[in-house]
Amino acid sequence: MNFELSEEQKMIQQSVERFVQENYDLTNRIKISSEDPGYSKDYWSSMAELGWLGLAFEEQDGGFGGNQIDTLVLMEQFGKGLVLEPFLANIVLGGGAIKRGASQAIKDSIIPGIMDGSMHVTLAYAEEQSRFDIEDVATSAREEDGNFIINGKKSMVLNAESADRIVVVVRTSGSQVDEDGISLFIVDATSEGIQRENFPTVDGLRASEVTFENVKVPSENLIGEKDKGFEILQAVVNDAILALAAEAVGAMEVLYKDTVEYTQQREQFDHALSDFQVLQHRMVDMFMEYEQCKSLLFRATMETVQDPQLSQRTVHALKHLIGKSGIFVGESAVQLHGGMGVTEELRIGHFFKRLLVIDSQFGNADFHLNKFTNF
Amino acid sequence: MDIKLSSDDLAFRDDVRAFFDDNKMKAGEDYFSWRLDWFKKAREKGGWDVPKWPEKFGGPGWSPTQHYIWEQETAQANIPFDLPFGLGMLAPILMNYGNEEQQERFMPDIRDRKVNWCQGYSEPGAGSDLANLKTKAVLSDDGTYYTVNGSKMWTTLAHVADWIFCLTRTDDSGIKQQGITFLLFPMKQEGIEIKPIITLGGSHTVNTVHFTDVKVPVENMIGEEGKGWTYAKGLLEHERTGLAGLSKSLVELEQLKDNARSIQRGNGNLMDDSSYKSKIGELEIDLLATEFTELRSLASAAAGGEPGPESSILKLKGTEIKQRIQKLTVEASGIYSSAWGDKGVGPAFAKGGTAGYLNSRYFTIYGGASEVQKDIVAKKVLGLTKGSSK
Repeated sequence: MNFELSEEQKMIQQSVERFVQENYDLTNRIKISSEDPGYSKDYWSSMAELGWLGLAFEEQDGGFGGNQIDTLVLMEQFGKGLVLEPFLANIVLGGGAIKRGASQAIKDSIIPGIMDGSMHVTLAYAEEQSRFDIEDVATSAREEDGNFIINGKKSMVLNAESADRIVVVVRTSGSQVDEDGISLFIVDATSEGIQRENFPTVDGLRASEVTFENVKVPSENLIGEKDKGFEILQAVVNDAILALAAEAVGAMEVLYKDTVEYTQQREQFDHALSDFQVLQHRMVDMFMEYEQCKSLLFRATMETVQDPQLSQRTVHALKHLIGKSGIFVGESAVQLHGGMGVTEELRIGHFFKRLLVIDSQFGNADFHLNKFTNF
Repeated sequence: MDIKLSSDDLAFRDDVRAFFDDNKMKAGEDYFSWRLDWFKKAREKGGWDVPKWPEKFGGPGWSPTQHYIWEQETAQANIPFDLPFGLGMLAPILMNYGNEEQQERFMPDIRDRKVNWCQGYSEPGAGSDLANLKTKAVLSDDGTYYTVNGSKMWTTLAHVADWIFCLTRTDDSGIKQQGITFLLFPMKQEGIEIKPIITLGGSHTVNTVHFTDVKVPVENMIGEEGKGWTYAKGLLEHERTGLAGLSKSLVELEQLKDNARSIQRGNGNLMDDSSYKSKIGELEIDLLATEFTELRSLASAAAGGEPGPESSILKLKGTEIKQRIQKLTVEASGIYSSAWGDKGVGPAFAKGGTAGYLNSRYFTIYGGASEVQKDIVAKKVLGLTKGSSK
């Protein structure tokens, strides 16, 4: 048992940290976010050149054969700058499904493009009625002359606007909430019958409502076995939870540290705010929640790397704590910054928004507490 | 980063389990002779009787992982009780600040569990503000002994202690942290009066202790006169990680779940009650996180010598978790939670549950109240000052 990053991981950590410091001040982030496609293509290329996009792919697919700990290292640093580039959509979600279940032909045709930044993918899983239940899938695919015909609507699809391919979760058999009968297909985002309705999210990222109307997909585009896609989906969602939790931990660190710094500078009643014990204890609580989240992040990630079968319960625990503590730290940071906390001028509000969004993705705190207690 | 236990660690765990198994108390065996024999055998294993002592003083010199395994295994095994005062509190002070003669005089009896120690720190006017202590020690004209007068309060197990390690004031001319002197003396002597304090759970654990002209030879002083605060404070910080007791809490939580499952509710049991279940779930999630905070703290202490900032939150979280387990036990007891005394009505676990909960309130008060702990984290970790006017 050890908690040390490898030398290689430490080097990556430092290089991501430097990248974020040099490129992600608030003004620049707002600018990038407000222009299409909602992230910087230059930064995305740099990330590809630095090898970050290939870390999590298998060596036989041309990647570096990294695991969830490598993704943790990247995401925690991304969280400190609220990085906009679609790492989650491409590498963890779309890429995660492809590397787990796609045929070698599809892997060969897609993964090199993902790693060099030229091919964008994402995952369409949620639907209007599904809320946080990933097994609740109404979008259907029926077999017809060696093809599948997809009909339905997917919601809150991350970065679909810039995706070349969409991995879509569909029902091929069973009733609407069965884990059996779920299948995954990779489809060309420009296929006839696909409509994307793009919009910004609360945190300045991009998402889309994606409608599928008689979209024809060849059966080779199946990812994993037909009707057996749930296992892949669950594994991808778990990876996404770990990645988002790492990002949240990075964001929480910025929030508590910014708050400590601000209260030392701001004076009221002839004292620095940091002199007041009631505020000190609130900041200690923020610090403690951050450390506890970091501990559980390490635990869930290390357990997943060792044995994903045994880590599911801890992953639920993690997402619960990240949601609850993330919002506590965000709200506290805003409160302790006073009026300035509720403006767009300081970066803390933007970090708070990101933590709010993270709680709403892949199941919020209550959802995962419920899963945890019923496990 | 890797969570796997190495084959050496797994072998160590098997060794620990086998030791616990081989040395279980047999039917009809006398508890106290079994206890002493157990520690003797643990010593023969290579310092297992003093797991936290450094190798230099006969400890086993374990890695953080081995300490973690030991804590997990002891939480589940039936091993003899131990008290922290001599082993965990006085011994490190003797190791760091005592002279060789004092180490040789006191440490073997501590190790052999022959002498019960108590801690004379708090006073009626010195609780969280411990440095405010007033118990006076005056050096004799010939410089051979101190005469101690004053009172200590909340002294745990003073009524069964053989000796006390005691903070006394030898000088009040400077700031209050100066002029404190660390003395050791026997409890069973003239001039010492012990009065029980009954706590909310109805039990007698703590006491008030009055000293009237108690004579203490100078060779019983640790370190230098007037430097006692430094010795006591160093220990308080050093011991922050020792108070969490998380493995024990995990075992207690599993017991609590079993107890709750034994309480029928309609067609199910109390664990089907969504409010109750949520509280159990949140508690367990906090425990899972805190357990890893402890591991991180152990690892950083092993790597750099000093525990990292995360260690400062262990007492805060660990004590709060223990209290929540007690509270949920009371809740599980339902109507029977109001029965008092030894009668025992309702489910077996309900007996003494409320008393246990009431006594557990001191977890966040002793050893530095949670609010004082937060002051320390604010200052030491976050670098915040308090009340400095501009």
